[in-house]
Amino acid sequence: MTAMRVDAKVVMLGKESVGKTSLVERYVHRRFLVGPYQNTIGAAFVAKALNVSDKVVTLGIWDTAGSERYEAMSRIYYRGARAAIVCYDLTDSSSFKRARFWVKELQNCEEHCKIYLCGTKSDLIEADRSVRQVDYHDVQDFAEEIGAQHFETSSKTGKNVDEVFQKVADDFSSCALEFMQEEKGVDLEQKKDSYFDNCCHN
Amino acid sequence: MPDARMAADVHNKGVFWEVKNGNLAPSDRLRQDRSDSPTPGLVEGTEPGAGQEGAMFVHAQSFEDLTAVSESNTDDNSAEVGDSNLESAQEAALEGGEEESLEAEQEEVGKEEVQSRKKAKEEDVTSETWRSHRKHVFVLSEAGKPIYTRYGTEEALSSIMGVMMLLMSIVEDKKNIIRSIHADGYRVVFLRKSPLILVGVFQTNCSDRELTRELQYIYYQIVSLLTLTQLNHVFQHRQSYDLRRLLAGSEHLTDNLLRLLDRDPGLLLSAVMCLPLASSARDMVSSSLQAAKAKNLVFSILLAGNRLVTLVRKKDQFLHHMDLHLLFNLVGSSSSFRAGEGWTPICLPKFNPAGFFHAHISYLEPASDLCLILVSTDREDFFNLSDCKKRFLERLRRRNAYQSLQEALNMPSYPVSQVGIPELRHFVYKSKSSGLYTSPDLPAPYQGEEELERLMGLYQQLHSCLHNPTRLLRYIYRCADTENLYALVTSGFELYLCFSPLGTKSLAVSAVNKLLKWIRKEEDRLFILSPLTY
Ligand SMILES: Nc1nc2c(ncn2[C@@H]2O[C@H](COP(=O)(O)OP(=O)(O)OP(=O)(O)O)[C@@H](O)[C@H]2O)c(=O)[nH]1
Ligand SMILES: [Mg+2]
Repeated sequence: MTAMRVDAKVVMLGKESVGKTSLVERYVHRRFLVGPYQNTIGAAFVAKALNVSDKVVTLGIWDTAGSERYEAMSRIYYRGARAAIVCYDLTDSSSFKRARFWVKELQNCEEHCKIYLCGTKSDLIEADRSVRQVDYHDVQDFAEEIGAQHFETSSKTGKNVDEVFQKVADDFSSCALEFMQEEKGVDLEQKKDSYFDNCCHN
Repeated sequence: MPDARMAADVHNKGVFWEVKNGNLAPSDRLRQDRSDSPTPGLVEGTEPGAGQEGAMFVHAQSFEDLTAVSESNTDDNSAEVGDSNLESAQEAALEGGEEESLEAEQEEVGKEEVQSRKKAKEEDVTSETWRSHRKHVFVLSEAGKPIYTRYGTEEALSSIMGVMMLLMSIVEDKKNIIRSIHADGYRVVFLRKSPLILVGVFQTNCSDRELTRELQYIYYQIVSLLTLTQLNHVFQHRQSYDLRRLLAGSEHLTDNLLRLLDRDPGLLLSAVMCLPLASSARDMVSSSLQAAKAKNLVFSILLAGNRLVTLVRKKDQFLHHMDLHLLFNLVGSSSSFRAGEGWTPICLPKFNPAGFFHAHISYLEPASDLCLILVSTDREDFFNLSDCKKRFLERLRRRNAYQSLQEALNMPSYPVSQVGIPELRHFVYKSKSSGLYTSPDLPAPYQGEEELERLMGLYQQLHSCLHNPTRLLRYIYRCADTENLYALVTSGFELYLCFSPLGTKSLAVSAVNKLLKWIRKEEDRLFILSPLTY
């Protein structure tokens, strides 16, 4: 598992067509693809490096398929993840139910995985408030209850997209730092690489 | 929770491979005595395009469902038809059916123009357009629940599905299986593959065997997404299960496969086309791929669009051409693998319908058509395979092979004029022992979608005649208004030639030898003659 130096594994979860792939496309390639919707098959992996204060952190992002067909396989995609971006479509209340399912699954199976709730397609809401089906405050309450972060994004306009991933990376490195300071004797300068490797593939 | 389904995984079973070897390895043939002057009497293994070190693929003929559909040993028998019988056999073919079939084609063409190009799921199932589609395919469960329809929505079709169920149950009562109904220019073909029922309604005069083969493809497409184990499991659990839940998002794969069936001669011939490439370049690519191996890697496949660049396999493991076509279809109908490195469970149903392999699928470069598929038995293998890909690319670049590959890709295949046969417009040549075929670029008259499908339809009819188990033919010559066709099958190869209406039969007959010589001369560019294993 050393082919790619990835510091933190991040997994995208959520019902199909909520916009997980679009979110990753926007963040990694700075684009929004219009055209017929192409559902993801299995999962797609991309690595993306970003700066956290003066360090570089590489996120290994797993964009999973929302189709139920792959549910049985989902564990291989989220196992060992440091962060899960659980997406729901702001204009589709059933997608939020599905998001709750993923939260429960993560709480049961990956207790060290931080959860980021992400309401997608906020541009549609801005264009027409009446299409909103998931209330901001309801999700905010839920997020506090489970100790998650909460964002509303648009991959079409790019709104809040960088913020989500930046937050993921910030949280990861500050948590890693905290962790290291607790375990005295780890030399931050020399052992950084090996520490991060252990940390993300445990 | 998902562990019952995970049990379908193929990895970690020690005996698994051994069992498979016994079944899948093709019998040893004498491949060393390759003939220099190819003649139609060539035996399998010596025809142009035959691999030097054995096949890459398992032979279609050795498989249950192709034999189950009343296929007697067409190939062997047809080789025995002596020359004296040929004329009469061929006259018979000419008398029967030619006129009517041509009329029917004209009609089909007319109707094609009416229908819209893109699939309209919402279209009204009571409309004339819906009814006039040339090829309908329905999939339903044994409880009669609709699973897939090519046109229209499944919900709107429940009454039609009901009628189909009724038809099947009536006939099955008498301990018979209904295979097909012919009426009024339509053929309704049934394929029962528990727990699924597939029904095709075709406006065609192809044989039921051809049509059943298409339904089988659709069946295996579904199995490749779910495995047969999981399919049986969900229906054992609940007979009335709505399978569309598990298949959600895969409809376009089936739609695309149906399009391929109409357009790609490979699916008709059970063969795969290679990207024409200088053998030195191909060898370089193959050996680079061979070197980039990993413990659980079973197949490494490099595709260029719908053409094969190379395939390296684990020793003693063979891929079935149908599984390869399903992989082609998966890659070709989805842009998903352009988003990053894909990692997906995939069942190769002809290899083993019970379990999943795990495929690493990625393009060599973002805008390139070169797609690498690495198939492993281990679902934890992603980073290992990702590393294999990297090593493969490094090696290619070091040897400057990447450039020649990219150049070959940008060139058209080859124009038929290179062969130098007057009046020849197009041909399809399949080497039986390698399971590979070659075909020139489509000439102008066949470049439109409809014209392409019409040409493929003609080939399909010839194929259907040549492989008719009750009337064995070795070759057929057929004149039509817009082209003359000649098809020939021997124990070593299958050949379909399309001439302009100015071509004559004697021209066609003499063209065969010339063409075979040309293919022999070009074979190391057009075929993969020395397939590698890890
Ligand atoms: N207006 C708008 N449309 C969006 C946005 N994000 C995604 N979409 C659209 O929603 C559809 C689904 O987007 P994807 O990103 O492919 O969805 P997904 O979650 O990856 O779906 P699966 O791969 O099937 O799980 C596409 O048609 C996108 O164009 C957004 O922010 N705004
Ligand atoms: Mg997606």
